[in-house]
Amino acid sequence: MNRRDALTRAAWLLGGTLSAPTLQAMNRWEQLVSNGRTSHQTNSFLTETQREIVARTAELIIPRTDTPGAIDAGVPAFIDLMLRDCYKKPVQDAFLTGLSDLERKNFLTLTPDQQTALLKQVEAEAQTSSSPTYWLLTKELTLLGYFTSEPGIKASFDYQPIPGKFVPIKIKPGQKDFMYGNQV
Amino acid sequence: MNLNIKADKAQTYDAIVIGSGMTGGWAAKELTEKGLNVLVLERGYELKHVADYKNAMKDPWEFPHRGRITNVAAEEHYATMFFSAKEGSQYLFANDKENPYIQKRPFNWIRAYHTGGKSLLWGKHTYRWNPQDFLANAKEGIGIDWPIRYEDLVPWYTYVEKFVGVSGQAEGLAVLPDSYFLPPMAMTAPEVHLKKSVAQKLNRPITIGRVAHLTKAMPQHLAVGRTDCQFRNRCTRGCPYGGYFSSLAATLPAARNTNRLTMVHNAIVKEILYDDKAQKAKGVRVIDQNTLEVREFYAKLIFLNAGTVGSTSILMNSKSSRFPNGMGNDSEQLGRNLMDHHLAIGARADVEGFENDYYFGARPGSLYIPRFRNWGTDKRSYLRGFGYQGGASRADWSRGAAETGFGADFKTRMTQPGPWKFSLTGFGEVLSNPNNRFYLSETETDKWGLPQLVFDADFGENERAMRKDIMNDAAEMLEAAGFKNVTPYDNPVAHMGLGIHEMGTARMGRDPKTSVLNKYNQVHACKNVFVTDGSGMTSSSNVNPSLTYMALTARAASYAVAQLKARNL
Repeated sequence: MNRRDALTRAAWLLGGTLSAPTLQAMNRWEQLVSNGRTSHQTNSFLTETQREIVARTAELIIPRTDTPGAIDAGVPAFIDLMLRDCYKKPVQDAFLTGLSDLERKNFLTLTPDQQTALLKQVEAEAQTSSSPTYWLLTKELTLLGYFTSEPGIKASFDYQPIPGKFVPIKIKPGQKDFMYGNQV
Repeated sequence: MNLNIKADKAQTYDAIVIGSGMTGGWAAKELTEKGLNVLVLERGYELKHVADYKNAMKDPWEFPHRGRITNVAAEEHYATMFFSAKEGSQYLFANDKENPYIQKRPFNWIRAYHTGGKSLLWGKHTYRWNPQDFLANAKEGIGIDWPIRYEDLVPWYTYVEKFVGVSGQAEGLAVLPDSYFLPPMAMTAPEVHLKKSVAQKLNRPITIGRVAHLTKAMPQHLAVGRTDCQFRNRCTRGCPYGGYFSSLAATLPAARNTNRLTMVHNAIVKEILYDDKAQKAKGVRVIDQNTLEVREFYAKLIFLNAGTVGSTSILMNSKSSRFPNGMGNDSEQLGRNLMDHHLAIGARADVEGFENDYYFGARPGSLYIPRFRNWGTDKRSYLRGFGYQGGASRADWSRGAAETGFGADFKTRMTQPGPWKFSLTGFGEVLSNPNNRFYLSETETDKWGLPQLVFDADFGENERAMRKDIMNDAAEMLEAAGFKNVTPYDNPVAHMGLGIHEMGTARMGRDPKTSVLNKYNQVHACKNVFVTDGSGMTSSSNVNPSLTYMALTARAASYAVAQLKARNL
């Protein structure tokens, strides 16, 4: 067995713990590696317009409310970095295809309500897709980028870097979740 | 001439220990504490306890990729991606690209080349083997019989458990003998419910995982600088508290406290040197992994603790006129009978209810369900058994990726704990099989000029038959508890090596014609060489093996020193 098979197999093992987009991405590992880059690139992955669409999408997923939103937490730059460093060409291409579709529909010139309506449509289509899409990747990376960022964590959770004990407890409805810093 | 003798003397120790991981640490501790001057050779870089755990105290946002593996890292860590997919722990896994090997059949060789080795990365589940584990081969005609019995190990189990610190609950079960325990970790509400349901409906016991974490540090732990587990569950980044057992936090400091420990890093052992006249080993030849400089070290006693595959490959590379096919290989069994535990199979379920139940802290352990198949009156079509690890937890924000919806309400929902999920993963025994093996490549070498290893091993019919029960029995137990959406799974790509419980390849036995090591882990035909890591295992049980390696090492060290003092070595 070669290295690419090993990667595909290892990725399969992760099936239980990874969300759909990442799993889909990893299942195609053999293909990905053969097309893959092996070194970091220093340039930005997205063009300025593309980044604006990503930023707007992310902000609609996690908007600024009484707590910071996706843009406040630096999610657009994070998505750019992740696409460049952690995904290979076929997944990047799938992402860019979805992105250019939104560009063609003049996403950035729509009203917020129109944008939301369009993304709901995109989300419904993504549910039927068996491969990574712009929507699934953006949603997953927005959640990851936001809920592991300093502003996201501090605004959202009861952050406990050193819990010091493990005890069963009772919680009240609506209580914030704990965050322990062991997610990476 | 005179100069050479002096130089040799400076490189001469009472004992050389090859490897500084789980068992190398124990060999170093035991041998130094018994008065020997010991040299520990580590092939990897020096890693200092606490000071070099560079990611241990980092917050999630300090990792640029928030823990995800990058394309570059995936290329460099293909075998370990399953584990090193975490940005914080990747630096503790060996680089597969720089340390290549060949897979004739799928095998992932997971390595940690630095002080402490894989003892920094283990799952820490710590179980005694039971008396049947040592009898089954002989009873069933599989492989060869163990040259020892459970009773031979009992005092050594107790001895190492006290120093290691094993958290757990005494249950009085024959299938899972109790250890010397520190207080057990707590179960969550759905876990308690599963335990009760499975006891009532299926008469199977469930206990809290027995893990090498200090739930209450004792004087022997404090003495080497360890303190209580802080329940951060960031173990794979290295633990600055010494909350879990590693050679770096526990046995190596104990050895250092004797002032009889010398450590040399970056020293890849090329071979053990055999003295034809004296008919024993006289030392080792090493290659500096950075400078390629070749050096020799000498000792009366050699402990080989480089990890199962590492130790056996060193024996294979140690060729002499007496041992043309590798040191101790008169039986031609060197490299054969490679075992691992089979995993990546079990069941998951959704748990309804328990909405008000939660937990505070991140528990670095899980439940344990001991073997119940082919035990007592239960008889199956296959041999041996399996156990489960697993537990219940509440889903976090990451569940949102699979849910529909977005916006302000969605954002708020993700800040609250999600529904409970239950997961059970089986670990099954793999039978000894001479055709499951690795050997030295005749054509491919690594950058140090050593032959690459060729792995040629797979699960057999017995393992495949067992897997059906592992999956179905997991589902049965989750259903007995009334959990919803019970989903059994059997991952078809599970293969050898991923369990990181590689065992065998230099097995113990009574007969030098069929085994490599005797009942004290001594090479039959070269008595001053002891191999006390997983290489010596004659069968694989279904419980995690590290505790048994440690007990065997302490036992062998005690024997070796007694033999040395009696001038038998």
